[in-house]
Amino acid sequence: MDPFDSTETLGYDKSEKGAENIATRLPWARFSSWLECVCVVTFDLELGQAIELVYPHDVKLTEKEKTSICYLSFPDSYSGCLGDTQFSFRVRQSVGQKGSWFREEDAYNRDAPGTLQREQAHYYGYVYFRQVKDGSVKRGYFQKSLVLVSRLPYVNLFQSLLKLIAPEYFEKLEPCLEAVCNEIDQWPAPAPGQTLNLPVMGVVMQVRIPSKHDKPGGSPLKQTQKENLLPAPLVLSTVHELDLFKCFQSVLIHIQMLWELMLLGEPLVVMAPSPTVSSETVLALVSSISPLRYCCDHRPYFTIHDSEFKEYTSKTQAPPNVILGVTNPFFIKTFQHWPHVLRLGEPKMSGDLPKQVKVKKLAKLKSLDTKPGVYTAYKTFLHKDKALIKRLLKGIQRKRPSEVQSAILRRHLLELTQSFIIPLERYLASLMPLQKSVTPWKTPPQIRPFSQEEFMATLDHAGPQLTSVLKGDWIGLYRRFFRSPNFDGWYRLRQREMTQKLECLHLEVICEADLLEWIKDKSEVEIVDLVLKLREKLMKARRQQLPLKDDVLEKLERYIQTVIGSLPEDLQAVLRRH
Amino acid sequence: MALRELKVCLLGDTGVGKSSIVWRFVEDSFDPNINPTIGASFMTKTVQYQNELHKFLIWDTAGQERFRALAPMYYRGSAAAIIVYDITKEESFQTLKNWVKELRQHGPPNIVVAIAGNKCDLSDAREVTEKDAKDYADSIHAIFVETSAKNAININEVFIEISQRIPAVDSGRRGREGFQTAPAAVGDPPHLLLMTTPRVSPETTRRPSNIQPE
Repeated sequence: MDPFDSTETLGYDKSEKGAENIATRLPWARFSSWLECVCVVTFDLELGQAIELVYPHDVKLTEKEKTSICYLSFPDSYSGCLGDTQFSFRVRQSVGQKGSWFREEDAYNRDAPGTLQREQAHYYGYVYFRQVKDGSVKRGYFQKSLVLVSRLPYVNLFQSLLKLIAPEYFEKLEPCLEAVCNEIDQWPAPAPGQTLNLPVMGVVMQVRIPSKHDKPGGSPLKQTQKENLLPAPLVLSTVHELDLFKCFQSVLIHIQMLWELMLLGEPLVVMAPSPTVSSETVLALVSSISPLRYCCDHRPYFTIHDSEFKEYTSKTQAPPNVILGVTNPFFIKTFQHWPHVLRLGEPKMSGDLPKQVKVKKLAKLKSLDTKPGVYTAYKTFLHKDKALIKRLLKGIQRKRPSEVQSAILRRHLLELTQSFIIPLERYLASLMPLQKSVTPWKTPPQIRPFSQEEFMATLDHAGPQLTSVLKGDWIGLYRRFFRSPNFDGWYRLRQREMTQKLECLHLEVICEADLLEWIKDKSEVEIVDLVLKLREKLMKARRQQLPLKDDVLEKLERYIQTVIGSLPEDLQAVLRRH
Repeated sequence: MALRELKVCLLGDTGVGKSSIVWRFVEDSFDPNINPTIGASFMTKTVQYQNELHKFLIWDTAGQERFRALAPMYYRGSAAAIIVYDITKEESFQTLKNWVKELRQHGPPNIVVAIAGNKCDLSDAREVTEKDAKDYADSIHAIFVETSAKNAININEVFIEISQRIPAVDSGRRGREGFQTAPAAVGDPPHLLLMTTPRVSPETTRRPSNIQPE
């Protein structure tokens, strides 16, 4: 079915369906389910970087947010970026700024994978920067960025969109932006599990929004060959995935270490030769522990102008659990005290192979011309997978396409993360009360608390050795993981899901119970109490959009009405009024 | 049944009724107070044409002058363009001629051009005669119809004629010049022959000669 269902009809016969009334829709409602706004950032001789244009015009950004967007939308030192450059950044939303109108319980977040949740307190910025010689400008250069600001981590979708629209924008200016924003306002909202057609500037992009019910590692979307002679839609294979192999080509032999650093949420700085490399590497690292959500702050591109610069670089405190991507050589001094620094050079080939960086002592991180390398004292808990590295390097010699190499790498990382997380999931499931202990007349039993020792005891017979051949200190890795923000985030999320699951089970048994039989010998007070409690449950279930079977809520509603009907009339009136 | 996606764009002066034509075609509705289009609207409609399904991907462009420069993005890769003028505004017919010129110079080489003289329900205020328009259309080998989005006159016909002119997939069986070698009427599905929408004048009902009128 075409997701443009409101505008899709079949056949020449008169359609029964009335026109969807675009006029009654809130202006920009659909647009805002994808983007907060689109900004144009320019270099003003007097002001420096400045926002030239924001779309929609009435979008509310604080001064602080505007300043951040301005600075982060230009490469730190842009001498090296002649031509067009694409990169991404992430900023914290100002305190006191209105939250998104999407609640935590919104349907998108309920069904989207943990790694693709809509951000609550951060924005992503997707940048297309153009710098070309231009004699008509005083500085001799045309320098401008088109920036998409969004809460969605859809780097591939938005960077592909920019590739389409930015060159047109630089030529045709504001009307082009106006057109694009209006077209995006006609897009269907992102719905997990659906393949959407997204028309923009005469092209239809087609992309599938992943769902949390997808089989991990399953192939995303098989292209059905159909007779598409004229305008084949622009099919994007993914909204969010990057070319992992390209991103990691100079650190392939350290992939195990990088995965562990990400899993543990260790403070890590990526120093890269360009914002493109910096942002892609950071986003690739963050995605390397998928389907686990990386719960720490991450900044694909971070500059001294960032509002968190002081907070994050303070030497009086231990470095925070964040990953920062930077390009300014000045940062070498700033981050000298950080435990892990990955310095990347321009990608080079040594013979057939991309040159691999070496592990180096932190003490060597001094001068501005510090060599590429992983500067750390970290020792991995698990041994590296030599077979994987051999396979990838062989792939390079055989000129295996980058997408295939990326798929191999992604599968490896996924299996590694799964092996690590499955024992935790299994143990967590054992903390749920038994289904038979959920009865209609009592509040459901508690979920048992997580006990690290109890969990460790399960590892002997149900540990990661069941699914992974990697040897090493898995126990040590788990212990360290328990202290990381990623464990905390994972546990909270699961706990919320389990509580909701329990609530669902409870509502379902209530629906199957014979309420009228039960209230027969109860006093009015008890019955009124029952009505109030049921109503509260109903409201909560609606608010949280609990994943209930279809008719449960309606059934409950009817029950409540029947129970009220059994009461004396004066009480009925009171209860119906409230 | 084979499905073909056909990109179609609507071009023409502001206020001539491009969006109304699309709404009539896709939703069979009409709103006299429709807002001016910003940029472009996109809609789809799938219809059966002989043994194929034609899915029209319709790009309804803005007629306002400030969006003029964006047009190439929408006619790029189009199988057909419907250029619309308002029969009560001579000026909009002149604009149409400029669009034809632009398409000839920069549009896709085999683009099917359809000319729609809209608002034919307002014949009292007519400024462009049907004959002039028809002669012009013939001179550039374009499809021509007078339409009324308001009264649902000839809207489907425009798209049917476009379907007829789109080169067939199997080029060995049918010619590439849709107009001259359009398929024989006997093979046409009944819906093509049973169109019930009223027509303004006999002139506009004229079909390619080898298609029998109902």
